[in-house]
Amino acid sequence: MTRKLSRLALWVIVLFPFGFILTLSFGQRWPYPRLFPQSWTLSNWIEIGQSGAGITSSFWLSLSLSLSVAIIATTLSFWGSRQIAFHPQKQVLLRFAYFPYVFAPVILAACLQYFFVRSGLYGQLAGVLIAQLCITIPYGLLFFSSFWNPKRKAMEESVYTLGGNVWQAYRMVLIPTARPTILTCFFQLFLISWFEYGLTQLIGVGKVDTLTLRVFQYVNESNIFLAALASVLLIMPPIVLLWLNKRYIFRLNTNKDLL
Amino acid sequence: MYLKVNDIEKAYDGHPILQPLSFGVPKGKVLSVLGRSGSGKTTLLKIIAGLETPDAGTIYLEDQEITNWSPQKRGIVYLYQEPLLFPHLSVQENIGFGLTVRKVAPNIKNDLVNEMMDHLGLIEHRSKMPDHLSGGQKQRVAFGRALIISPKVMLLDEPFAALDNQTRMQMQVMFKRMATRHNITALFVTHDIKEAIIMGEELACIRDGHWQLYHSIKSFLQDHLTGVQDEINFWKKLDP
Repeated sequence: MTRKLSRLALWVIVLFPFGFILTLSFGQRWPYPRLFPQSWTLSNWIEIGQSGAGITSSFWLSLSLSLSVAIIATTLSFWGSRQIAFHPQKQVLLRFAYFPYVFAPVILAACLQYFFVRSGLYGQLAGVLIAQLCITIPYGLLFFSSFWNPKRKAMEESVYTLGGNVWQAYRMVLIPTARPTILTCFFQLFLISWFEYGLTQLIGVGKVDTLTLRVFQYVNESNIFLAALASVLLIMPPIVLLWLNKRYIFRLNTNKDLL
Repeated sequence: MYLKVNDIEKAYDGHPILQPLSFGVPKGKVLSVLGRSGSGKTTLLKIIAGLETPDAGTIYLEDQEITNWSPQKRGIVYLYQEPLLFPHLSVQENIGFGLTVRKVAPNIKNDLVNEMMDHLGLIEHRSKMPDHLSGGQKQRVAFGRALIISPKVMLLDEPFAALDNQTRMQMQVMFKRMATRHNITALFVTHDIKEAIIMGEELACIRDGHWQLYHSIKSFLQDHLTGVQDEINFWKKLDP
């Protein structure tokens, strides 16, 4: 009984913020000291469905930006980590990958701001994409650094002596054996990009209106109902990813003991 | 000579691993190379396979210089101590891997894979994944994967070292049988004196990067540096 109650309490604690935000997105007018909003309406949701109120476009912008960042950064960091792992100066090169996290992404962005202004990328989507790659690629490099070991190298060499080329080694052996690791990295990089605020704000100068920026904007405007609605949209993709992770990746990792 | 190695040298960070060494292997012969850990035998094999570059020296195969050729072009297969099967592929997919990368037609590939699995006694395991195989079975799959592409030379780097004694003996018999059937030219590296004598038609010893070739078992047995005499004396002492 106690265990059941504890479990119930745990579920309530975990689910309450999500339920609260979802409920709030249907609210209208909430004067103090009322416990709940004065009225409930679908108008917030209908509004974004019709005029968009900018939220829908922000959602798609964020989704395409984060997917692009995750795809590019995962690909480059998987390949790059292979080059670093077997490089004689491996430790020195890996130390550079810690840079964005030692200084914090926003400080890195402030340092890079001059170059973005000079190259005309300031306030542009491409600029934000490149800025986000500056923090996600090092993360990916660090993430994959433990993946490469002498056994993987020997396996890659086996492909070459059996007649395969580099492309075949990646396509037929390295990528398939690394699939769970690659997918986990992809999800993590997607989430970093999805929730990125400071860097996007600084390089995008508010012109690249991602969903995360929009949530903060509504919060600053004290528009709690639209902020809640945007938050619901904001947490949807991570929830889908968590579900996919639990259903597919976790199973892959437990069923297949790869190397 | 079918495979000729001339004055190969290699050093890491100024520390010499291989002193200039030269030797040759005739076609269809197995040369056993005996050496302790760190003697440079793996480096030598990797240089011959094209996985490492020598600091000096040349390598010839079928009278063609291959020193700067990529591993893919050489037709030399390197077998590690571990079978290194591809964990996401079944037994038959592993064996057929070399044919897949060569884009051999599926029907021809299937016939060759079936024939190889039959020779190696792996037919009943064809659909199994590597983690469901024993150590000996894995090593047989690794052999099949190498043999199916008819390599010009096989380089075997202590392939049976991780196996128990009985499986090791079975694998030695299997390798001898396959070597005769396929007329294999090979370098068989081991640190086991008995295995070196069983597997090779010729014997060589590598010590601190120096090479010593023995043209007969007798000369090998007589050289006290091979450790054979110590081994014999050890067993004699145990004789009641």
